[in-house]
Amino acid sequence: MLIKIMEGFKMKTNNLITGNMNWKDAGLFNAGPKAKLQVVNQIFLMAALMFSLGLLSSQNVSAQLSGQEIMERVYHNPSGDDVEGRLTMTLINRQGERRVRNLQQYKKDYGDVEKKIMFFLSPADVQGTSFMNWSYVDGSDDDQWIYLPALRRVRRISSDGKGDYFMGSDFTYDDLGERHPDEDNHKLTGEETIDGKACWVIESTPKDTDYMYSRTVTWVMKDNYLGLKREFYDDRGRHLKTLTIKDYGHIDGFWTILETEMKNVQRDHTTHMKFSDVKINQGIPDRMFTERNMMLGQ
Amino acid sequence: MYKKIVLSSIITAMYLIPANTQFLSDDLRIGGYARNYTGVLTGGGSELSILQNTFNLNFSQRGEKISFKVNPYLYQYFDNEIELGLREAYLDMYFTNFDLRIGRQQIIWGKAEGVFITDIVSPKDLREFLLPDFDEIRMGVTALKLNYYFGMSTIEAVWSPVFTPTLMPEQGSIWRPEMDFPAPAEFDHSLSEIDPSLENSDVFLRYSAMTPGIDFELVGGYFWYDDPALHMEREFDPETMQLSGLTVRPQYHRVSMAGGSFSTPAGPFLLRGEGAYYTGRYFQTEDPSVTGAVVSKDNLHYMAGVDYTLAGVTMSAQFIQEYILDYDRAIRNDEFESTMTFLARKDYFREKLWVELFSYIGLNHGDALVRPKVTYAFTDGFEVLGGANIFLGDKGRFGQYSDNDMVYVKVKYSF
Repeated sequence: MLIKIMEGFKMKTNNLITGNMNWKDAGLFNAGPKAKLQVVNQIFLMAALMFSLGLLSSQNVSAQLSGQEIMERVYHNPSGDDVEGRLTMTLINRQGERRVRNLQQYKKDYGDVEKKIMFFLSPADVQGTSFMNWSYVDGSDDDQWIYLPALRRVRRISSDGKGDYFMGSDFTYDDLGERHPDEDNHKLTGEETIDGKACWVIESTPKDTDYMYSRTVTWVMKDNYLGLKREFYDDRGRHLKTLTIKDYGHIDGFWTILETEMKNVQRDHTTHMKFSDVKINQGIPDRMFTERNMMLGQ
Repeated sequence: MYKKIVLSSIITAMYLIPANTQFLSDDLRIGGYARNYTGVLTGGGSELSILQNTFNLNFSQRGEKISFKVNPYLYQYFDNEIELGLREAYLDMYFTNFDLRIGRQQIIWGKAEGVFITDIVSPKDLREFLLPDFDEIRMGVTALKLNYYFGMSTIEAVWSPVFTPTLMPEQGSIWRPEMDFPAPAEFDHSLSEIDPSLENSDVFLRYSAMTPGIDFELVGGYFWYDDPALHMEREFDPETMQLSGLTVRPQYHRVSMAGGSFSTPAGPFLLRGEGAYYTGRYFQTEDPSVTGAVVSKDNLHYMAGVDYTLAGVTMSAQFIQEYILDYDRAIRNDEFESTMTFLARKDYFREKLWVELFSYIGLNHGDALVRPKVTYAFTDGFEVLGGANIFLGDKGRFGQYSDNDMVYVKVKYSF
């Protein structure tokens, strides 16, 4: 049972931690160079996608930007040195049944390494579990650890598995991680207005033909370079999922995504993510990202 | 007596809490689980191998400077026997660079899964062999634990004044290990007690580090070995001079251990290793000239393992070996005893269904324990597990239980 729990958790957390939200890259998500960018990372990215207001105001200039340039501006949005917050994730199946997961997350950027830690608050059978991820700017493999209360010890796990789904959600590791714009070819295909917000529509095709998606289409808001919607197409070119920003705000000086929804249209399954109690640049201490803290809990 | 100790411990903890409320900022947290565990032997008359109801509670409160946890549990069996115990009950004190934990606690060391090499602090409850969950196999130990932190390293020192031996199956249990005595044996437990005292304390030390690219531990200990050596006194028929009986005196001995472990990623793999060197262990011998029929030998115990995930299937393999140094052919254990473990596991339906196959394989005797299981989570916190324990072979650590093949169901609700 111990092993079952451990291995099970490894799989569960793999997705969560290494996912990339790809919103920067696609306009909606900040995609990173490493496909397995940490789930926490992604979640934080989603929770803290921010841009400088100076960038946002240049609508006339940006109207002439290429798809690549728009995606790079989204990718390079400032996000603060540290972020913490509460994530509530709701999984909704085709029968309307809901499963809710609550986590507390912390992220800190050290320049050469970004450290993230998340504490599982509910449901009861995972309460007390914690997960930590260190991702490196130089492209080294991530370091990942998990603490399971039943095991009473912190265990290192492999950071492989970017295509796995995070905690049974509709987000893969890669969806939750940062995908660098250079990993795709971007094409500005048009402009649309969604809910009164003027957007560019950008189609992104991966340079790696083995990538899990054949293409993505992203709607980027012109006034703030935030992604508002993104569609994912599977390896056969069929529409697979749609990610939508439901709410965003300006927190501690940064634009922050507060509520998102990922709907798998093929399986009629939806994951709703809500971020709350978000704090940016509040000075998270280094001791947050240690074995000691993983075992003690947040 | 034990129940009184448990109850008094809980009461003591309850009194301690209000005295420190200025440090305990969080609310009291209560969690736990209720579980039914029913197992049926598949051979013969489909006898119940176990019917156990479990109620496990966790009380905890966390503050800036101090916290506590009390984890009582209750097992109720089909014959209405009730077992009440404390898995853990401790106080934590936090300082800038170190922590202190005082009380009954589970302390787990090492990187191996499903085997115990440098994991020497918490004794084991083997009354149902290796079948229970591992947090139930490892018992709490009464100890003072100091953790000192610097950088990404930790030094952990443990002092335990109370010796807790391995809990073995009672006489008549289907999990009682085979004991092949050459003559009728009588047990004399008069030498089995270790009085709690400063002199009889166990001490353990660990240095551990979590670094980019590798985690490792260096450990050592001077302690009472948890399994007794069976000292035997032979009795001979005065007329025939044939062996007519044995008096077996289980006796615990001091051992020293030094070892270490590591885990490191290598591409898509995770490599793990662990090893320990023991001095002062006792092994049974068939040499008639040896008094007590036991000899002291040093031995090595080590493991190499790899974890890998392919197409969503988590796989793990371990090779474990025990080696007796300066081996004497009269020793009943093999000079080398090798075991392998394998694990494959995958989830379906968005982590609602888990399928797992875990197995131990004894290479010396060609025996094995194969454990398939399926877990379905009907809702968050409520799961039903169905599985089987299949023993292959007819001798060896696993083959000796070849009559104990079983299927079982566990229904568990966590709160």
